[in-house]
Amino acid sequence: MKNKMMTGNEAIARGFYEAGGVLAASYPGSPTVGILSAINKYDEIYSEFSTNEKVALEVAIGASFNGARAMVAMKHVGLNISLDPLMAFTEIPTQGPFLLVTGDDPGLSSSQNEQDNRNLGKFANMAIVDPSNSQEALDFTKEALEISSDFNIPMMLRITSRLCHSRSIVTLNDRVEHDVPGMEKKPEKYCMIPSNAKSQQLYMKKRLERVETYAYDTSLNKYEASDDKSVLIITSGLLYENLKELDLDISIWKLGLIYPISKKRALEITAHYDEVIVIEEMTPFIENELKLMGITCEGKEYFSLTGELSIEAIEKGLEAAGVINQIDQKKVISEPTVPRHPVFCTGCPHRSTFDIVKKSKADLVIGDIGCYSLAALPPFEQSNSIISMGASVGVTKGLIKSRKNNDKPIVSVIGDGTFFHSGIPSFINLLHQSDGEENVTFLILDNRTTAMTGGQHNGSSGRFNSKNDLKVSIKELLETIGFEDVQEINQYDYKKAKEKINKAIGEKGISIFVLNGPCALKYKLNKPYYYVDPTICIGCRNCIHTGCPPLEMKKYHNIEKLKSSIDRDMCVGCSVCAQVCPVNAIKLSTELEVEDE
Amino acid sequence: MNKNILLSGMGGQGLVLMTDIICEAALKAGYEVKSNDVVGLSQRGGMVWGNVRIGDKIHSPNIREGHGDYLLAMEPLEGLRWHHMLKDNGKIILNEKHINPVLVQQEVEDYPSEAIEALKEDYEILSINAAKEAVKIGNEKIANVILIGLLAKALASDELKIDEELWRESIKDFVPEKAVELNFKAFELGFKN
Repeated sequence: MKNKMMTGNEAIARGFYEAGGVLAASYPGSPTVGILSAINKYDEIYSEFSTNEKVALEVAIGASFNGARAMVAMKHVGLNISLDPLMAFTEIPTQGPFLLVTGDDPGLSSSQNEQDNRNLGKFANMAIVDPSNSQEALDFTKEALEISSDFNIPMMLRITSRLCHSRSIVTLNDRVEHDVPGMEKKPEKYCMIPSNAKSQQLYMKKRLERVETYAYDTSLNKYEASDDKSVLIITSGLLYENLKELDLDISIWKLGLIYPISKKRALEITAHYDEVIVIEEMTPFIENELKLMGITCEGKEYFSLTGELSIEAIEKGLEAAGVINQIDQKKVISEPTVPRHPVFCTGCPHRSTFDIVKKSKADLVIGDIGCYSLAALPPFEQSNSIISMGASVGVTKGLIKSRKNNDKPIVSVIGDGTFFHSGIPSFINLLHQSDGEENVTFLILDNRTTAMTGGQHNGSSGRFNSKNDLKVSIKELLETIGFEDVQEINQYDYKKAKEKINKAIGEKGISIFVLNGPCALKYKLNKPYYYVDPTICIGCRNCIHTGCPPLEMKKYHNIEKLKSSIDRDMCVGCSVCAQVCPVNAIKLSTELEVEDE
Repeated sequence: MNKNILLSGMGGQGLVLMTDIICEAALKAGYEVKSNDVVGLSQRGGMVWGNVRIGDKIHSPNIREGHGDYLLAMEPLEGLRWHHMLKDNGKIILNEKHINPVLVQQEVEDYPSEAIEALKEDYEILSINAAKEAVKIGNEKIANVILIGLLAKALASDELKIDEELWRESIKDFVPEKAVELNFKAFELGFKN
C-alpha cells in the first residue's frame, strides 16, 4: 500500500492494471490521451494507439471475445466513429470484462463540440460510472470491470476533461491476474446476423434491469443525509467535490453508477424531501432519468446546459433555487485583457505552407483537425471550414461537384495523422466520377507524428523514427489508389514549395502535395538562430506576418522606423523568416555555428 | 489552513512540471493536495493556467475566484489575466520576461504594460527575470524552477511547512537525472533571492 499523486488519467490506467487488465487500445485525443501513455508503462498490459477510435474499439472487442479484460479510451467525439461496432458489440453478452472510457469536454477546452456521451452510453445499453476524483477513477475502473464480469455487460466510464488532468492522492494496490479462457466457438452468440441479433434486443433490456437491482445498494453511490429534509441534491463526478467546497448542511445523494439508477432506491430517498435538485454538467441526463421515474426534480432551471459548473456556478445556481441565502462572494473584478491565441510553435513546418496559401489565389481553404486547425486563427485565418477528423476530403468533393459555373481554386488541407485516421476512404472516393475539370489542390501536411496531442506515432512515423513500426508512404499509397499528380515537397524550402503550390492552384485537375517537415517540437528542431540586420530591414513585416513567436517589431537605437527583430533564445533556426524577407535582412548567426562546432 | 496556489503562463513553459513538483513536495510534507492543469491546445503557445491546493482537507481541485494565496506567473500578461483569482492580500511571483501574444506581434493590440505595472499597487509582487537568469546559469527551460524557489521561500515564512529538502527531493523525482544539478541551482537562485 503506497500513496501517490495521480491525474485522473493515470488513476484509470492504474485501476486497469490492478484489475488485471490484459489489453488497452486508444486513439490520442484530449482529454484522455494520458490514459494510454500511462498504461504503456505497465509491461503486463498490451497497449496501443490504434489508427482511429473505431479500430481501437475493435481491437479491445477482440480481447474481450477472448475472455481477457479489455479497455478502450477515447475523447468524446471518438465515440461517434466507433458507434458502428459498439452498437453490435453491446448486443452480445460480454465475455471478457470490458470498459470504454470516454473523456467528455464540458467547456470545450480542446474539442469541436460538447457532446454529452452519457446519452450515447444509454443509447448503446451500457451501464455508466462517473468518478469524482483520482481515487474514484482508480476504484471505479476496477469496480466497472467487476460489474462487467458479473452481469456480462460492457461498461462506460465517463470522465470530464477537468478530472482527467487534475491530480489527487490515490492508494496503490497490487495487480490481480485473471485467466484468459480463449474465444468460445458459439456463432449464435457472436455473429450478429439478424436471426441471432433479434433476441438480443430484449436481452439488453433485461441485463440492464439486473444491473439496476445491483444499483440499489451499490457502494459506488453515497447518500449523505442531513437532518434538514427540505432539499436533496443529486449529483455526480467532480461536481460533488465542487459542491462540498461550499460546506453546506444539506443532504446529498452522490451517484457513482449514474446509469442505470435504481428506481426503488431513488423513490425511497427522494420521498424524504420537499425538493430535489440535480446538479450536472451539459444535458439533463440524471434529471431526465429521475423524471422518467415520476420523481419531481429541478436542475437545468438553475444550472447551465453548457460549460463547466465551477464552485461559483453551483453557488449561484443554489442561490437562484432558494437553497442558500445571499451569497457572500468576494466581488471579483476581472477586466478583459489582450487574448493569447495558440499559434504554430517556433520553427513549425506548417508555418511556411499557410504563408504560401494566404498569399495564393485559393478561393476556399478547407481545413481539418490537427495542429493546422490553428491556421483558422490570426495571423493566417486560412480555414473556411473545420468539422471532424478526415472530413476535409469528402467536404471538398461535395463543394466541387455541387458548383455551377465556378472553377475557382480550392485548397484542402489534411495532416498525416488525420489522413491515416479517416482520410484514406475519402481519397479513394475522390476519384469516383472525377472529370478532370475540378481545380483542387490537396496539401497533406506530414510532420511525421500526431502532434497536437503530444507526438504519438501514426501510419508513417516509422519512416522517420526507428522506434515506430508503421512505414506507410503517403505518396505511394495515393499513387496506388490512382492519383497521377502526387508530389513530395520539403516544407522548409519555402520558395520551391510556393512555386509548385501556386502552379497547381493555377491549373485544373486534382493535385496532391505531401508536404514534409518534421514536427519542430517532437523532433526538437534546434539549429543556429537567425538575426535581423536593422540597417537592411525595410520594415515590410513579411517575416512578422508568418507569426513565428521570436519575431517582433522593435525600436532600435538611432533608427527612426520600427524594424524586425528575433529573440535569439527562442529561435530554432527554421529559416522561413529569412526566406520570406525580400531584402535578405535576416541572417544566420555565424557566431552560434562556431559555438556548435 | 488551506493554501491556494495559481500558476499561469503559456504552453511550453513547463507549468505541468511546476505543478508536479509543488504537489509532490506538499505530499511529502504530509498535506492533502489536489491540483488542476490544462493541456491540449495550450501546448502550442496558447495561455495555460492551473492550480495547486494544499491543506488538511481539500475537496475540489478548483480555486474559487478571489481565494488564491499565490499566483506564479511565468509571463507578465498571464499574471495580469489571472490576478482576479487572488485574495486581497495575495502574492504574485512573476517572471518578468515578456512573450508577445500574436495580436501584439501583429501590431493589432498593445502589450498591456501599464496595467501590469499597476498590479504593484494592489499586490505584493516578487519579481525576477527568470528567463534571463536561467540562461545565465544554463538555459531558459529552468526558469520555471527559479519561480518554484521563490515560492518555496515565500511559503517558508507562511503557515505551510514544507522543508527545503523536500523541495529538492521532489525536483529530483521529476526532472531528468542529468538535469538535476542544474535544476537545484535554479531552485537555489529563487530560494536565496
